[in-house]
Amino acid sequence: MNQYKHLLGVVAFAALVGLIPLVTDNGFYLKVLFLIGVNYLAAAGLNVLVGYAGQKSLGHAGLFAVGAYTAALFTAKLGWNPWLAFAAAGAMAGLFGVVIALPALRVKGPALAMVTIGFGVVVEKVVSEWQDVFAGQQGIYGVLPLTFGGEPLDARQWVWVVLALGIAAHLMLRFLLRGKYGRAFMAVNTAEVAAESVGVSVYKYKVLAFVISAVTCGFAGALITQQNQYINSDFITFNLSVFFLLIVLFGGRSVYGPLLGAVVLTLLDAFLARWPGVQHFTYGALLLFALYAMPNGLSGALTSLFRRLRWYDRRVPGPERAPIAPWRLQVAGDAVPGGEVLLRTQGLYKAYGGVVPTNNLDIEIQSGHVHSLIGPNGAGKTTLLNILSGIVPPSKGTMEFRGRSTVGQPVYRICNMGLGRTFQNLKLFADMSVIDNVKVGLHQHIRTGFWSYLLGLPAAARDEARATAESLQILQFLGLQEHARALAGSLPYGLQRRVELARALATRPTLLLLDEPAAGLNPQETGELVEVIRSIRDLGITILLIEHHMDLVMAISDHVIVLDYGEKIAEGAPLAVQSNPRVIAAYLGTDDEEEAAPMGLGESHV
Amino acid sequence: MNWFKGFAKTAIAAAVVSGTAYAQDIKIGYNADMSGSGVAELGISGRWGFEAAIEDINKAGGILGRKVVGVIRDDLGTPPKSIQNMTELIDNEKVSAVVGPANSGNALAWLHLPQQKKIPVVVPIATGSEITTRYANDAQNYLFRISMVDREQSALLAAYAVKHSAGKKIAVLADSTGYGQGGTKDATAILELHGVKPVAVEKFGPKDTDITSQLSKIKAAGADTVIVYGLADGTAQVLRSMEKINYLPTTLGAWGNLSSLFPKMTGAKLSEHLIMAASTTEDTNAKTKALGERVRKNFPTLTTFPCAAQSYDSVMLIAAAMKQANSTDGAKVAAALENLQGVEGVIKTYNKPFTKTMHEGLNVNDFYLARWKGDTVVKFEDSVTKGFQPADFKK
Amino acid sequence: MAVSILQAMFSGLALGSIYALVALGFNITHNTTKTFNFGQGEFLVAGAFIAVSTLLLLAGHDFKGTLQQAEVTLARYGLSLIATVVIMGLLGVVVYYAAIRPFIGQPGLAWVMSTIGFGIIIQNIALAIWGPSPMVMPSPLGSEVLRIGGAGVLPQEILVLCVSIALMLCLDVVMRRTRLGKAVRAVAQSSTAATLMGINVTAIVVLAFVVSASLAGIAGLLIAPITTASVFMGLTLALKAFSSAIVGGLSNPRGCMLGGFLLGLIEAMVGLWHAELREISIFLLIIFVLVLKPEGLLGQRVVEKV
Repeated sequence: MNQYKHLLGVVAFAALVGLIPLVTDNGFYLKVLFLIGVNYLAAAGLNVLVGYAGQKSLGHAGLFAVGAYTAALFTAKLGWNPWLAFAAAGAMAGLFGVVIALPALRVKGPALAMVTIGFGVVVEKVVSEWQDVFAGQQGIYGVLPLTFGGEPLDARQWVWVVLALGIAAHLMLRFLLRGKYGRAFMAVNTAEVAAESVGVSVYKYKVLAFVISAVTCGFAGALITQQNQYINSDFITFNLSVFFLLIVLFGGRSVYGPLLGAVVLTLLDAFLARWPGVQHFTYGALLLFALYAMPNGLSGALTSLFRRLRWYDRRVPGPERAPIAPWRLQVAGDAVPGGEVLLRTQGLYKAYGGVVPTNNLDIEIQSGHVHSLIGPNGAGKTTLLNILSGIVPPSKGTMEFRGRSTVGQPVYRICNMGLGRTFQNLKLFADMSVIDNVKVGLHQHIRTGFWSYLLGLPAAARDEARATAESLQILQFLGLQEHARALAGSLPYGLQRRVELARALATRPTLLLLDEPAAGLNPQETGELVEVIRSIRDLGITILLIEHHMDLVMAISDHVIVLDYGEKIAEGAPLAVQSNPRVIAAYLGTDDEEEAAPMGLGESHV
Repeated sequence: MNWFKGFAKTAIAAAVVSGTAYAQDIKIGYNADMSGSGVAELGISGRWGFEAAIEDINKAGGILGRKVVGVIRDDLGTPPKSIQNMTELIDNEKVSAVVGPANSGNALAWLHLPQQKKIPVVVPIATGSEITTRYANDAQNYLFRISMVDREQSALLAAYAVKHSAGKKIAVLADSTGYGQGGTKDATAILELHGVKPVAVEKFGPKDTDITSQLSKIKAAGADTVIVYGLADGTAQVLRSMEKINYLPTTLGAWGNLSSLFPKMTGAKLSEHLIMAASTTEDTNAKTKALGERVRKNFPTLTTFPCAAQSYDSVMLIAAAMKQANSTDGAKVAAALENLQGVEGVIKTYNKPFTKTMHEGLNVNDFYLARWKGDTVVKFEDSVTKGFQPADFKK
Repeated sequence: MAVSILQAMFSGLALGSIYALVALGFNITHNTTKTFNFGQGEFLVAGAFIAVSTLLLLAGHDFKGTLQQAEVTLARYGLSLIATVVIMGLLGVVVYYAAIRPFIGQPGLAWVMSTIGFGIIIQNIALAIWGPSPMVMPSPLGSEVLRIGGAGVLPQEILVLCVSIALMLCLDVVMRRTRLGKAVRAVAQSSTAATLMGINVTAIVVLAFVVSASLAGIAGLLIAPITTASVFMGLTLALKAFSSAIVGGLSNPRGCMLGGFLLGLIEAMVGLWHAELREISIFLLIIFVLVLKPEGLLGQRVVEKV
């Protein structure tokens, strides 16, 4: 239903805008319309990078330049067909998107801004200084414009071409962003480590976001060049990069943000020109005002307005009202028979300078069992989990998961192999809905690829529906189904922990690592957690959990491993470990002769 | 039927009256950088010359009995904005002619627009040689210019350099902008016409403050004359760097150094060292003085007077052409521009300033060499200049 | 050849010290608020113009007139420095309340846009007041070229170096040896903890912006005799200063200073070799350094606890 309404809206919009060139032949208005379209194209792609993937780039004028000069040089110097050159411009820009992405991957925040600025400045200088190829300020003219029926496009046809491109971009990006790719981008933006741990390759998605933004900027550059049949280095400035970023920030993150931003800012820019004195002031003042009044951009402000006017119905009649089937775990590959060694480490060693949190650990995790890892604070438990999941590389030693070495493997690859985890300090995707969090967990199991999503093929829609269904099953499994549409960050702490658990389960792990799942829970919630862990084990998932709550550990574990100062000092059945003198000494110290009693049930140890 | 005829007559009369009232004013556009870059002061100077000319025309009764309205647009020094302004002026404001721009790069970006739409343009400032020649082979070229064309300036400077330099050891030092690079091309080509090859060609960034390394290279090549292409501040830095390394060859510069910024930056003594190409200064004649005062009322920190004068004259020529063609139709006005006689401007009286093949209203014969003395520009004369023949000005 | 290198080194160090000053400003505000003023370039411009006008007024001229060499004495220069610091300091307070505070802690880089917007407004105010033509500020030490080891050096370049280094040393001492410095570093580490210790965090943060703005203003005043005061010089200088800060390590004040000098020197040396490659080389270098050491040369790697 929603899809059809949207499509209808798009058609109506296209018709309306398409009509304008028939109604007026004022070249200036047509030029402004064309510019809106071009700015929209550039901003739509940049929005994917900035709004969704959260990588703020101040160097996209460089990518605009790549597209512009590719179109110019290929037609003017190499005599290519203008449409082919146009396509080539986008491709070239995409290539350079990879170039700017690679250094940008390693840095965040201001350093990322710097790398992108650097890229933009380098491109700007190259096209101004390398006169032999790029003709600097003199510029390249004789650029072939796009043609229709052998004739160069006239002002009206340019508007229609740009309209068609804009609509295509909108539809494609909308499909893309509503599905697994949009979620992946947002996950990478919010919590990189968590995204990686549920199988999203942060590297790949950042590069993808850069490439998408590069391609649209490149097309924008080519359009400007071919429409004007001229380009020179004065077109490429830092201010252009700022302008693109401004459109995105002003418009807001939603899919419609770039359109709103492009329309408002282009119109403003065009019509303020008649008051040359106040042009700049108004511009600067508008920026500030917009940021105060609309922190979520124009689209965000409009959304809240519509919501207040009740134009939006937030009650979504969801499939969750329908009965949900219980969740059956589908394990990738063969199910592992109980009792087999799932994970084995030998001589695992990690040192940070003088601190050695992991000292020569030999550990075996058997399938079908619940293992617990205990030890005093600073024993190196979380470090071990981090090493096992691939977040921290070991200094020495071997690790094998299901027979394959995991040393040096990227985190997402280890997740692909069937290892899932939760975090001690909650790492939810707080501004995504609960069900979207779980769907990110399903990410690696959604097989449909990029192009199907971009083109909105039925395979993608089917996979999305399946993912929704399975996510609801998992939520029901953990009793969270009525919170499916709530914002993950808005839930109470206990429920948030469960959402993270649901997300980890969605990766369909063979082995699940839980880092202090009971932290912050009251005794009743802890009891419920025991039941939950039991049900997870009954599904066939092997569990390794770090805990301090001794009652939980004793109640649920089949096997306990004790660490102290990075070394394994004991392991075995819970009761045996409980009375092991070395373990007692580690927790209570050896000087106390009196209090050598074993720890009993019901006593929590800090 | 009578009432119908009466009604029709009134209607037609009303239409005619409103039609003519609507079409009463003649609009001329001004499109230049007034706030975006270092060239802004030239653009502002030009604007006030433009406005002064329109004022004068209206005082004298307008053109063809109609009032003239100037439509001002600031192109911020960037091509996209300049193009947008041209589109707006031509398609939306429906101007009959345009005066502008200041940046050559911007002109090159939108040349095809007035050419296609048959709107005459007189360029008052931008000096890039290609602007008036790109459409020279079209049936009618709509781009004209009243400014100190780079090529013509280079002809003057090169002529002096060649005649003055004993061993013909001439170097070219240009800023890295399109202007500087275009100047280098022009100078090298003209020097070749004189049978001379420059011993060194160097470039510097327009905002550089230390040009000593390039000058050292020029010094090492043995040059005794240097032609410098840059704006006032760039050239001033060149001279200051020359002083730093104690290397003061004969230095020739372009019209940008007529700006009063130049002596302020170099100091009075050093400023005298530069010999530059000039066409008009505020005290060339009574008219320039008067115009200078008028412009200063709106733009007190006027540093680039020639732009105002050239702008003024551009408008005057357009007005004369419209009167001669008895129309504002672009094609007719352009044709008329190529056939003007006796138009009085501030810089000079124009007799056939443009022809079918030549769209430059000022050429090397209107220029002379000058130098700063104190805070005024004075004509520079020596044995070389006195011995100039027209044949010396190869271009 | 050696003379040219010496020459280039001097001007490179002088320019580099300007980058270092402005970079320090970035460091101070970023440490305390995780933001900085992207319009810092315009502050530099404003500082330069305020200084010129003060000198003009002191010499009895109209504030937009022309300065003669003789009218610029060291005493007057000093006075104009005070005027610049005061006015720029006020501007720093304004930019904090208008463009930074509403957006601290918000995800995304809203403060980048707001400071850019603020910078545009400042630039246009300057344009409206002083016009687009550059204004000349003669150096208080005259324009006679000094010969040091055969290389020609402007006395102003030496003044710039000395004043900048003095200022940086001052700030270094304050940061490390005084209670105020400790308070600033505390706020930089954790404003919550600092306020619990009785430190007036708002006052410290405002002070940070005041200092940062003043540094930019002083940089403008110092550089104006070499480059002239122009409304358009802000952006490039700010970008290079920002680059210096990032390369040297945004979180480390000494890193920022190092970055500034390094960039100035490299720029001058590459300029010696191939003038047009100057800026390309700097920015390529920056990208290179960041890829190898994202936290900057002297910066500290912040490891996220997982």
